[in-house]
Parts: sequence; structure tokens; C-alpha cells
Amino acid sequence: MKAFRALLLTEIRNFTRDRMMLFFTLLFPLVFILLFGFLMGGMGDVEHATLGVYLESQDDEDTFMQTLERAGLRDIRPFDSLQSLEDNMADGQIDFGVVWNGAVLRFIYDPSRLQENYAFQQLANGIGAGFNMQRQDAVPAINVVRIEAGEIESISWFNLVLPGILAFTILSSGLFAISGHLTQMKQRNILDRLIVTPMSPVALLLAIALVRLVVGALSTLITLGVGILVFKLHFTIDWLRYGIFVICSTLGTMGLGTLIALIVRRPSSAGNVANAAAMIMMFMAGIYFPVSFMPAFMRTLSRLMPLTHMANVMRHVTGVLDMSDLRFWMTSAAFLGIALILFPLMARYIVRPLRN
Amino acid sequence: MKDVLALAKSHVVTALRERVTLFWFLVFPAFLLTILTLIFGQVGQEENVHFSITLINHDHAESSNLPFSATRVIEETLGSLSEARESGAQPLFTLIQPAPGSDGDAFLEQELVQIRRGNRAAVLVLPGGFDEAVLSGILDETDRSGATAKLYMSHTSVASETASSIIEQILAEIDRTILIQTGRFDETQAVAVVTDWIGQEEEETRYVDFVLPGIILMGFFTNGLFGVPGTILFNRDRKVLRRYWVTPLSVGRYLAGFGLGHLSLCVVQFALLFALGKYAFGATIQFTHPLSIIILVLAAITFMAFGFFIAALAKSANAGMAVANILNMPMMFLSGMFFPLVGLPIFMMVIVYANPVIYLLEALRQSVGVQTSTLMPFPWTFIVPLFWIALCSLVTIRRLRWDVAR
Amino acid sequence: MTHDFIMKVSHLTKHYGEIIAVDDISFVVPKATVFTVLGPNGAGKTTTMEILEGIREPDGGEIVLFGQPMKRITRAAKQRMGVLLQEGGFEPHLKVREIIQLFASFFENRVSVDAILEQVALTEKAGAQVRTLSGGQRQRMAVGAALVNDPDLIFFDEPTTGLDPQARRNMWDIVSRLKAEGKSIVLTTHYMEEAEALSDSICIMDHGKIIAQGTVRELTGQLGEETLIEFRVDGILENQLSALSACCDNVRQDGGLVTLETKDLPSTMSELLQWSETQGVPFQDLRVRQPNLEDVFLTMTGRTLRE
Repeated sequence: MKAFRALLLTEIRNFTRDRMMLFFTLLFPLVFILLFGFLMGGMGDVEHATLGVYLESQDDEDTFMQTLERAGLRDIRPFDSLQSLEDNMADGQIDFGVVWNGAVLRFIYDPSRLQENYAFQQLANGIGAGFNMQRQDAVPAINVVRIEAGEIESISWFNLVLPGILAFTILSSGLFAISGHLTQMKQRNILDRLIVTPMSPVALLLAIALVRLVVGALSTLITLGVGILVFKLHFTIDWLRYGIFVICSTLGTMGLGTLIALIVRRPSSAGNVANAAAMIMMFMAGIYFPVSFMPAFMRTLSRLMPLTHMANVMRHVTGVLDMSDLRFWMTSAAFLGIALILFPLMARYIVRPLRN
Repeated sequence: MKDVLALAKSHVVTALRERVTLFWFLVFPAFLLTILTLIFGQVGQEENVHFSITLINHDHAESSNLPFSATRVIEETLGSLSEARESGAQPLFTLIQPAPGSDGDAFLEQELVQIRRGNRAAVLVLPGGFDEAVLSGILDETDRSGATAKLYMSHTSVASETASSIIEQILAEIDRTILIQTGRFDETQAVAVVTDWIGQEEEETRYVDFVLPGIILMGFFTNGLFGVPGTILFNRDRKVLRRYWVTPLSVGRYLAGFGLGHLSLCVVQFALLFALGKYAFGATIQFTHPLSIIILVLAAITFMAFGFFIAALAKSANAGMAVANILNMPMMFLSGMFFPLVGLPIFMMVIVYANPVIYLLEALRQSVGVQTSTLMPFPWTFIVPLFWIALCSLVTIRRLRWDVAR
Repeated sequence: MTHDFIMKVSHLTKHYGEIIAVDDISFVVPKATVFTVLGPNGAGKTTTMEILEGIREPDGGEIVLFGQPMKRITRAAKQRMGVLLQEGGFEPHLKVREIIQLFASFFENRVSVDAILEQVALTEKAGAQVRTLSGGQRQRMAVGAALVNDPDLIFFDEPTTGLDPQARRNMWDIVSRLKAEGKSIVLTTHYMEEAEALSDSICIMDHGKIIAQGTVRELTGQLGEETLIEFRVDGILENQLSALSACCDNVRQDGGLVTLETKDLPSTMSELLQWSETQGVPFQDLRVRQPNLEDVFLTMTGRTLRE
């Protein structure tokens, strides 16, 4: 027990004195959040588009303007020439434009706004159809009304992203505890010095795990706090499940870090491989890009990644995504299971001599 | 001259033999290009997307004797879209319907849960009396409200949004057909709706054409920001450089060799990423315009200067890498490479305007014809990067230690 | 004007703030000889070497190198020099041949890479990456890089530190061979046997100054006609040691090894034996020998070569 306490203290000291490590673990996710928060703020809601209008012809002007009013645009700006309309589009002042010459409705888009044009075109289709109907005084016989299936009205797209970032924080913390921190200790022969003492490898592992758990939890809480306070996000957090999953997933990702360290052999490479794996997972786990648009084989790959499941569970425990109890418990158990299976291997790794 | 060439060759050879460098410098940009193109290149191309949707039809056509059943048309249309296509690609929809005779309300509740869990994109409910409402909407002069279908979806899910839009479009099409056939709508009087683009484009830019310049610049960026300080600081701290300084080799010639080697690596990067973009993803842009080449070279030099800047200020290789990591994210994400820069607060816009990446990126895109407008007037493309090159060079000359301190 | 020395250092000075690291030293390195610089840590030896290798600038003094006077080592001078640094890295992913080629490109005058590889016995390892080499192989490669321009003056800065005895012998052979070819060598080392085996002339530095110069024989001769008696004891008390000093000169003890000097061997020997019996101190490994470089060093600096 004394050994454990001493190791724990050392681990804590190592951590708090290494400013770079502190920054990366606690504050870096914040940088992520802030960046994405502000970037995404402008992106997700494409109903809020600004349309520029140039009327070459006054025919059906009233009908046309009425149609536009009902289209759900953020702003409608009239222009008195095609050139000024296009210039404003080029400057990014308006999102897309429409020209009415009495016979043809011409919608103009900026080809470089690839990621948004699809949504603008949907709006345009709606306007075109609505206008045509109105002109002939036709009324749709079939109407559709959208009803939000989610239970919380105030959820935004950012609500989905933030838990994903929390998941990524936990992943990094756990992975690098082993394939980073521990492998570095091995590389610097610190482990060898410890092994020749009666220190138990289990005690060292527990000390590392405990520090990582606390740090990981702290980091996610800070990130959550920023999301709630700065970006006014709304979450309904199930603290019990939150805690359980943070523990299980931190331990589980430590297990994954062990896998990497065992496969990669050279301690100095383990950190790099872990870094690469984390990066790839970050893009493929559906945190920033929607998984649903990936081709089938990529969707399958995505489902194989631990981070995908971590992100989903984090969304669940923060009240953003619904999940069956079975799925929650099975996912948590799976991570815990990985940790338990790999724990003895972790201990063996510490004791195994460094091969050149 | 032989020394400069020998140093350049060493630089290139070393980089290509180090697995770590190879990964970040080649594999990662290639991966990013692949994943971005596969994901975002799909948007709007319905051959490759697929949604799981549910249809609950409370109005059963078989038991009615109405002349026309809108619900049957809707059901058949959605059904046909959930059959495998001739090309062998997956169908647009997987259509789920309740078992005949089951409790519609309970089923709906279940399906709403599925939406919340992300297993269903949308649920379309056709309430009882739908067909009758459709008919009365057409025939009845006093009450033309028609029928209303309920579309349950989740506005936070991109998939749900898209599937909902598609379903709405399908229903609108069916509605239009009905109106035309019943004489309520005269197609010949309809206004044509056409699509046009600003600039010289005839059609929408392909996604890969849009994103490839950004990926190439990102490759140069990573190479400069991480590769340069990594190499210089590592070589200094391990006294590899000291072995050079005891020979007649001067710092200037070393830098020349290093720079040449670095630019050669950028050429390799460019070639590989361009080949990947063109042959794997069908990119059509060419970098043959002199302006494109000038901007690429300017970009490579700018990022290399940043790398030296970091090397000059960092105390050790680890510190240098940490600084590079810190600069990496904001500079890359606030450059318009991945996300359009809309709605940013002032303090972020300041970073955007100071970030040389965005100028280089926009100018490069313009030179290959995938961008119409830029943030700032064209001369800034050169002014801002040149300013940074000058600043970084100055700091490097004054601060970079070429040998470890005693 | 040709000299018979390859390098002459006059009044060389270097200080770091208040500390004078190199204090007005002067010496001459004759051609085709091995000139060794010895000194304990902090003696200014490292700084001196760095100045002469051209990686540090002196604050004062003059150097005449290859017949040219200069304030500091010029780039032109470096063309004819070769330097084996005490420690330094090579790019780990480059191959041996590539390293030699790279260094060769820095000089106007170049020896063929194959000849160099042959000279340092690394021909089979030409295609191996640096990171796969053993310590000895790496050192040999470093020697190769230092010889790539067929230099007239070569600096060997602690060339055998950390090498096994076989590798050390190989290095000695290389040094001897180079001298036989007419090259001039400046050597530093911590190993007495090395200094004695290789040096033609030696200078000893301490506290920034040269405190002794000459051949091995001259230096050991400075200790006079002294003969040294050495023996081992298991433990000796202070008073026992002082009793010994009464009869003999310069008694010193290092761990279990007691050394004393005498000009009159026979009488000292008998006094010693008497002392041993009176004090009840048995001794082992009794040896009589001539003073060596280590003794000179110890006498002059108070420290051993290896400290």
C-alpha cells in the first residue's frame, strides 16, 4: 500500500509539473471546442440562408415575393442589377441568388460553397415549386409537416459534436497513458530501475490509471462546462452513467494502448502509432463528419472503431442521443473487459526487459 | 554546390526512410483526402446514400372504393425506391412498415425511439382519411386544405434532414402529378427553374477539385511546421550539426541544402497527392498555370519559414513539437480548408486575416479555377505570406542557435 | 616560409564572463607527431580543443596554422583539417557510404569513399544504416568522416572512450598509421596508457593554464630520480600512515593502494618492512616502479587523469 501511495504521488507530481502534458490534456480539448463551436455555429443551420433577388420583370412580383416570404429564409435582399447580385455573392454577403425574368426562374449559386449548396438547392426547389403553385392558384393536395422526434427541442448540431470531443479526450488520455507515458518510461530505463525493487507492477499501473481517470474526468468536465456556459448548450446529464462510462472507457483505452505497445515493440514508436490511430479514429468515428454519408464499407469500418461507440455512449449519457439500457451496459462492459483482459499483459510489459 | 546537393539528398533520403515522417507527410494527407472526398463528395449524389425509413399508413386503400388512392401511390413509390437498383448499388431506402393488424400507435412509439437512437432517418405517417382528404382537396372548392402527412425526424441528424428533404420532394412530385392529371395545375404554364453559377463555371465544382488544393497545402504545412523544427532541433541537440560545423561547411550552405531538400520533399508530396486525387478520385484540376506553381512554391517556403521560426524559439525538440501542435489546429481550421468561414466572432476573424494559409489557399483555388472570390484583394495573397517569411527569417537569424550551449 | 611545426598557438585566451577558461596558453604542434593535451575536467582543455576545432571563438591570442597566421580557425584552414569529435551524432537513417559521401562533399580535396571505407575497415558495412552500427563501428565511421579530405592535421578528441579493448587497439593502430603517413595529430584522452603509447609530446593543462609540457620522458623525469613503491593494504589507520611519512616521501593513499616515493630504494625498503612489522600492517602486491604519466599528472594537478 505504501508503494502504491508513493507511486501515486510520483505520478501526480510528474503530471502536474509537466506543463506541456497539462496543457494538452486539459486545455487542448478546449481549443478544439472553441474552434469548432464558432466554426460550426455558422454552418449547421442552412434554413437560415440569405437570398439575393433580382427582378428583371415585374410580372407576378407580389406572388413571387409572397413565396419567398414563406420559404423560411433568414433574409431576402433585393438588388437592382445582376452584377451587384453576383458581386455580393462573390463577397459572401448573400448565400445564393435568384433572377426572375417573367418566364424563367434562375437560381444562382457559388460553385465554391460546395458543402452548403445542396441545402440551398433544396430551398430553391421549394421556392420554385411554391411559386409555380401560387401563380396558378393551385394548392397542394398533399402537405407534409415535420415533427421533431427528439425529446429535447433545444438540441443543436453542436450538442452532437461536443460529446464526441469528450470521447476523444478520454481516448487520448487512456491510449497515451500506456503508449506514450509508460513506453517512455521503458525507453528511458526508468522502468528497469523500478523493476529491480520490490515494487509491484500492478501498483504502478493502478497509480497511472488513477491519475488518468481523474485527469480525464476533469478534462471532460471542463469541456462540458465551456459548452454549457459559453455556447449555451443544453444537456441532461445522467451522472451515474457518465461516471461509470468514463471509468470503463478510460481503463479500456488503456488496454488498447497496451495492445499498441505490445505490437509495436519499439517504445519510441508506440507513441507515434497511438497518435496516428487516434487521428484516424477521430475522422472516422462520425464526430465531425456524418457517418451516414460514408460509403458502406467505411460505415462498417467506423462501427469497428472504439471511438465511434465511445462517442455514442457519451452522447447518451449527456442526454443527446437515446440508447437502450442493454447497449449502454454492454458497451461499458466491453471496455471494462478489454481492460481486465489486457491488465495482466500490461503488468508483464512493465516487467519485460527492454530489447534493443 | 556539391555540398548543397549532397545535403539536400540526405534530407530527402532521411525523411523517406523514417516511418513516422512518411506517415504524417504522405499517408495522413492521402487518408484525409480519401475520407473527405468519400464523405462530402457523396452529398447530392443519391446513388451512394442510403436511409432507413418507416412508413405507417393508417388509411388502407384496399378497403375503400375511392377512384384514386394517394396513399397507395406513396407506398408504391417508396417501395420501388427500396428495391435494389440495376447497377447493383444499394437502394435509396430500406422501407419498414408495421405488420398488418398491429397496433399503429405502439409501433409509432417504437419507431420514434429508433429515430432518437439514430437507427431510423425518418418516419412518415399517413393518417386515416388521407386519401379522402386528398380527393376533397382537389375536388372541393370550399375546403382545399388537402391531406397532411406527418414526417417525424430529428433536426440534429444530417441523415434525418436529408432523408426528410428527399421524402418531402417525393411527396411534392406525387402531389404535382395529381394536380396536373386533375387539371389543377397546367404544366405548360409552369415556370422553368434553372440552375446557374457565378463565375465562369458551367456546372458545380466537383468536391475533389475543391478540396485537393487544400490537402496539398496541408501537406506542405505539416511538412514545414513539424518536419523543419523536428529535424533542425533533433540534429542540433544530438550534435549532428556540430559534426558539420567542424568542416568547412558554412551555415548558409547548410541552409541552402536543407531548403532544397525540403522543397524536394514538397514536390514528392504534391506529386503523390495530385496523382491520388486525379487517378483515384477523378480530379480534373491542373496545376499548369504559372500562378499555381508560384503559389505552391510560395506556400512551401512560407511554411518552411514558420518551421524555422519554431525552431528558433523552442528550447528543445520536444518543446518545438509542442509549439507546432499548438499552432497546427487554429492555423489549419481557420483557413477555410475544411469548413467555410462564416459567422465567426471578431477575435477569430483577426486570426483568420493574419493566417497566411487562407490567402495561399484561396489564391491557389482561384488559379486552378475552383474559386470565384477571395477574402481579400489578390495582392494580399503575396503580401501576407511574404510578411510572415520576412518576420520568421528575422527571428531565425537572430535567435536560432546552431550548436548546443555549453 | 615553411616551419617544422604544423600549428603554433600563442597567448590563446577565452573567458566566459568572469571565468577565465583558457588563460594565455602557448604551445607548438610539430609536424608528423602526435601532440597530446591532458587535463582534468574544468581545466580548459575542452574549450581549447573547441577553439582549435573551429567551433568556438577565442578572445585573444594568435594561431599559426599551415603557415598562416589567424585569430580564429578559418574556413580555408578547415579544408586541410580533420576532426573526430568527442561526441556527436549522425543522421540515424543514412547509410555508412552516404555519410562518408556527404562529408566528402564539404571539401575541395576528396579521397575516394571506397578508400576511406577500406582504411577504417567498414567496407562490408557500407550499406548499413547508422542506427544499426555498434559503438565501435560508429566510431570508425566518424574517423572515416574525419579523414575524407586527406587532412594534414587531425584532431582526435577522446577517440577511445567507451570502446572495448580490441576497438581501442584498432584506434591506436589508425593513429600510428596516420602519423607514419606524415600527418600531424592533436589528441586528448583520459587514458594514461593511451597517452604514453601514442604521444610524442604532451602538454598538461589545469585551471586554464599549461602547467607542464614535453615528452613523456621529460615529464616523468621532472619528478626527479624518484622511484615509486606501491602496495595494497586492507585498512590503514591515520596514525599508521603518518608513521610511514616519517620515513618516506610523498606518501599517498588511494583507496587501498598506498604509494610512496623514494630516492634511496634500499634504505626505504628496509624501513618499510620494519614499519609493516611494527604496525602490524601486512601488505600485498608490493611493487617497485618508475614514475609514469599518471604520477606526473597527480603530482601537478592533485587529481587523477580519469577524474
